[in-house]
Amino acid sequence: MFGAPTRTFSVNFALFLVALALFPVFVRDSYYLHVGILCMLFASFALSWHLVTGYGGLKTFGHQAFFGIGAYFSALVSIHFGISPWLLLLVAGIVAAILGLLIATPVLRIRSMPHVAIVTLSFAEIIRAVISNWRDVTRGELGLWGIRTFESFSLPLIGAVSFTSTDKVSFYYLMFLLFALVCFTVLAIMRSQYGLAIIAMRESENAADSLGVNVVKYKLFLFALSAFFVGVCGSFYAHYLLILTPSAVLHIEVIILVIAMTLVGGVGTFAGPIIGAFLLTILGEWLRGFGDYRMLIYGTMILLCVMFFPGGVAKLGSRLREFGGFSARVARR
Amino acid sequence: MPISLLFEQILNGIVLGSMYALMGGGLALIYGTMRILNFAHGEFFMLGGFFVFFLFAGAHITPFLAVPIAVLAAAAIAAGIQRSTLAILQRRDGWLFATIAATLGISIILQNVALLLWGERFQSVPYYIEGTLAVGDIRMAYQRLLILAVALCSLALVGLVLRYTRFGLAVRATAQDQEAAKVMGISTERINTATFAMGAGLAALAATMLAPLIAVNPWMGLPLLLKAFVVVVLGGLGSFKGAILGGILLGVIEAVGMSMTSAEWRDVISYSVLIAVIWLRPWGLFGVKER
Amino acid sequence: MLEVSGLNVKYGDAQVLWDMSIKVGAGEVVAVMGPNGSGKSTLLKAICGLVAIHSGQIKFEGKDISSMPAHNMTSIGMSLVLERRRLFPSMTVMENVMLGAYAKHARDKTKERLAWVEELFPIIRERRDQIASRMSGGEQQMVAIARGLMSGPRLLLMDEPFLGLSPKMVSAIVTLVQAINKRGIAVLFNEQNVQLSFGNAHRGYLLESGRVVLEGAGLEMLQNETVKRVYLGSH
Repeated sequence: MFGAPTRTFSVNFALFLVALALFPVFVRDSYYLHVGILCMLFASFALSWHLVTGYGGLKTFGHQAFFGIGAYFSALVSIHFGISPWLLLLVAGIVAAILGLLIATPVLRIRSMPHVAIVTLSFAEIIRAVISNWRDVTRGELGLWGIRTFESFSLPLIGAVSFTSTDKVSFYYLMFLLFALVCFTVLAIMRSQYGLAIIAMRESENAADSLGVNVVKYKLFLFALSAFFVGVCGSFYAHYLLILTPSAVLHIEVIILVIAMTLVGGVGTFAGPIIGAFLLTILGEWLRGFGDYRMLIYGTMILLCVMFFPGGVAKLGSRLREFGGFSARVARR
Repeated sequence: MPISLLFEQILNGIVLGSMYALMGGGLALIYGTMRILNFAHGEFFMLGGFFVFFLFAGAHITPFLAVPIAVLAAAAIAAGIQRSTLAILQRRDGWLFATIAATLGISIILQNVALLLWGERFQSVPYYIEGTLAVGDIRMAYQRLLILAVALCSLALVGLVLRYTRFGLAVRATAQDQEAAKVMGISTERINTATFAMGAGLAALAATMLAPLIAVNPWMGLPLLLKAFVVVVLGGLGSFKGAILGGILLGVIEAVGMSMTSAEWRDVISYSVLIAVIWLRPWGLFGVKER
Repeated sequence: MLEVSGLNVKYGDAQVLWDMSIKVGAGEVVAVMGPNGSGKSTLLKAICGLVAIHSGQIKFEGKDISSMPAHNMTSIGMSLVLERRRLFPSMTVMENVMLGAYAKHARDKTKERLAWVEELFPIIRERRDQIASRMSGGEQQMVAIARGLMSGPRLLLMDEPFLGLSPKMVSAIVTLVQAINKRGIAVLFNEQNVQLSFGNAHRGYLLESGRVVLEGAGLEMLQNETVKRVYLGSH
C-alpha cells in the first residue's frame, strides 16, 4: 500500500469511486442516499483518525471533540451571524485544526500510549461538558436547531443545485467530493516524502531522527490536518442534519464507533478505515430494528477483530493463507 | 463562604475522593502489573452496583454479606474475562493497543448485556445506616462516614498485602519485570489474573458503597472510569499509592471547585486539572520521572 | 544432566537457532561462546522456556522439559541468571534474594540457603536494605547470582555474567563461579570473550549464526586454530 501505487490498487480504488459517483443515478430513494452519505461521512472521519493513529502511531481517543467543535461552531456562526455554510465548511475545519494543534502540543511531549489516550479523551470530555452546560447558547441536550443549510446555486449543463431535506442528491455529491478530497489527500501524503517520514517514525522514532526528519513537526502537521478534516465533517453534519445535541456529536460513543470501524476494516492500511466505515454504517442501519443490540454487536465485533483478525477485513485474505503455518508458532509459556 | 461550610465541603470531597481512590487504585494496580489500560474498569464498578442492588435491595441480605458477595462475584467475572481475552492477547507481539481496544470492546459488551438483562431503569439502593453525625455546624451522614471508613480500610489492606505477603512480593516482582519474575518461579499469568480480579474488585467495592448515593444503571461506570483515568495520571500511572493520593486530592478539588461554581462544572474542573498536570508534570504529581 | 538435541528456534519468520545440540554433565562448567547475534542468549532462554521452541528436544536429568513453562524451571533444579542482572529495581537486596526462593519446594530450606549464600556473598548481609537499582553493576551481578542460588539449583545458567563489569569484578565473579561449582553445582554460561569463556570452563561450544560450529574441552578450544585465528586475532 505504500510507495508507488500498485496497478490493482489504483484500478480497484477508481472503480470504487466511480461506483459511488454513479450510485444516485440508479438509486433515487432518499433513505439509501442518506445511508450513502453517512458511509462516506464516517469513512472520512475514520480515515482522518487513522492518519494520526494508524500512521502517526499516536493513539488518540478524543477526535470526537473536533467533530463536535466543527459542527457547533459552524451551526452557531451560521445562526447568529448569517455567514454562508459554504464558507463555514472551511472555517470550521481551520478552527478544529487550531484546537488540534493546541491539544497535540502537550500530547506530543509524552510518549506513553495510555497517557495520550487519557489526555485526548479528557480534552474531548471538557469540550462536551462545556457545550452541554453552556445552555444559553447551545441549548444543551435540548438540541440546537434553526441551523442554515447550504445555499443553492446553478451550474452550467446541470442547472440548479438545491439543498433541501427532500432532495438528498446534492448533499450526496457534496459529501462525495469531501470524501474524495480526504482520500486523495491521505494517499498523496502517504506517497510523498512526508509519508515516508511518517512511516519511518512509526517503525522507530530513532530511525526517523537519524533520517533528519523532525518527528514532532510532522506529527503536529498530521494531527492538525486530521483535526481539520474531522472539523469539516462536523460542519457538513450540522448543515446536513440541521439539529445537534452534545450526545450525538461529542459522546465517547462517537469515537468508539470510529475505532470499531477502523479495527474491523484493518489498522495500518488505506482501505481498512473505508471498508470498516461502510460495513459498520450499513450494518448499523440494517440493525436499526434491533435497537438494543446495536452497541452489543459493535462491542462484540471490536473484541472478535482484536482477538482473531488483527488485520481486519482488509487483510483477511492474506491472514487465511497464513493460517496453515499458525499452529506451529503458538508460544510456550 | 463560612469556614464550617468550607470544612464540610472538604470533608465531602474526601468522601468522594476515597471512592475515586478505590477506582483509581484498582486501575493503577492493573496498569502497573500488566501494562493494560482497562477501559472496562467502569463496567466492573457497574456490576458491583447491580449485584449489591439485587442482594441488598432485592433479596434483603445484610450488607455485611451482600457487599463481599457482590465484590467477589464481580472479581470472579473479571478473572474469567481476563483469562479468556487479555491473557491471550498479551502473549502476542504489539499487544499494547490490542489490549486497549479489547477492553473497549469488553466495556461495550458488559454495558449492553446489563442493559438487556436488567433494563435501563435507574435503581436505587437504600442507605446501609441512617442518621447524621453533627459536630458543631458540621453535619455528615453516617452513610458517608461508612463509605470513607470502608474505602480507607480496604485500601490499607491491599497496601499491606502488597507490602508484606508472599503474594504481594510476587505482584511487585511481576510489575517490575515479568520475565525476571518468571525465572524466579512466579507464574506471572496467575499473578496477572489475580491482580486484574483484585483491581476489578476494588471498583466493584466502590460501587457497593456508592450505590445508596447514586442510581444503579448500566451506564453508571463511564463517569467513574473517566475520573479514575484522571486519578491515575495525577498519581503517576501504575502507582497504587499515587492513585490513592490523587483520588482524594481530586475529590477535594472537585468539592471545593463545585462550591465556588456549580455542580455541572465539576467534570470541567477535574479534566482541566488533568491537562494542567500533563503540561507541567507528565509523570504525575507523586510519580517519579522515568527515563 | 542437560541434553539439548536438534533444537530449532524461530522469531516470526527468522530462524535464530539451527539444529542445535549441546550437553552439560553433572558438576560440569560449560561455556557457550559466540559473537553478537550468534544465538547464545536465545539458547539459554529457550532451555528455560522463556522463548518458544520450534522443534527439538530439551531433557533435564532424563526428563523431557521441552514444553515446560518457564516458572516451573526452578522447581526441577534449574536456575537462570538473566543478562544484565535484571534485579527488581525498586526492591531491596534482601527482597530480591528472597524472591529467588519463591518456588514452593525452596521455601522450607530458605534459612539454610540464605546462610550459605550470605557466606559466599557477604555483600548481601552488608547491604540487605539497599534498593537494588542503587548498586554498582558488579554488586548487582553478585546479588543476581545469589538470587539464582536461593532455589537450590543443580544447574545454574548464566546469560553473559561478565557483561559490562570491571576487570576486577570479572575476576571476582570467576572465583565465585568456581566456588559454586566446587559445591557440585553444574554451570552453563555464555560469553563472547574467548579467554573468559573457554578459559574458565571444562568444556565449550563455539556458536556462529545460530549453529554449533565447534565443541571440545575448554583448554582444547583455546588452542584450536580456527578459534585462535578468528577470535584471538593471531595470524
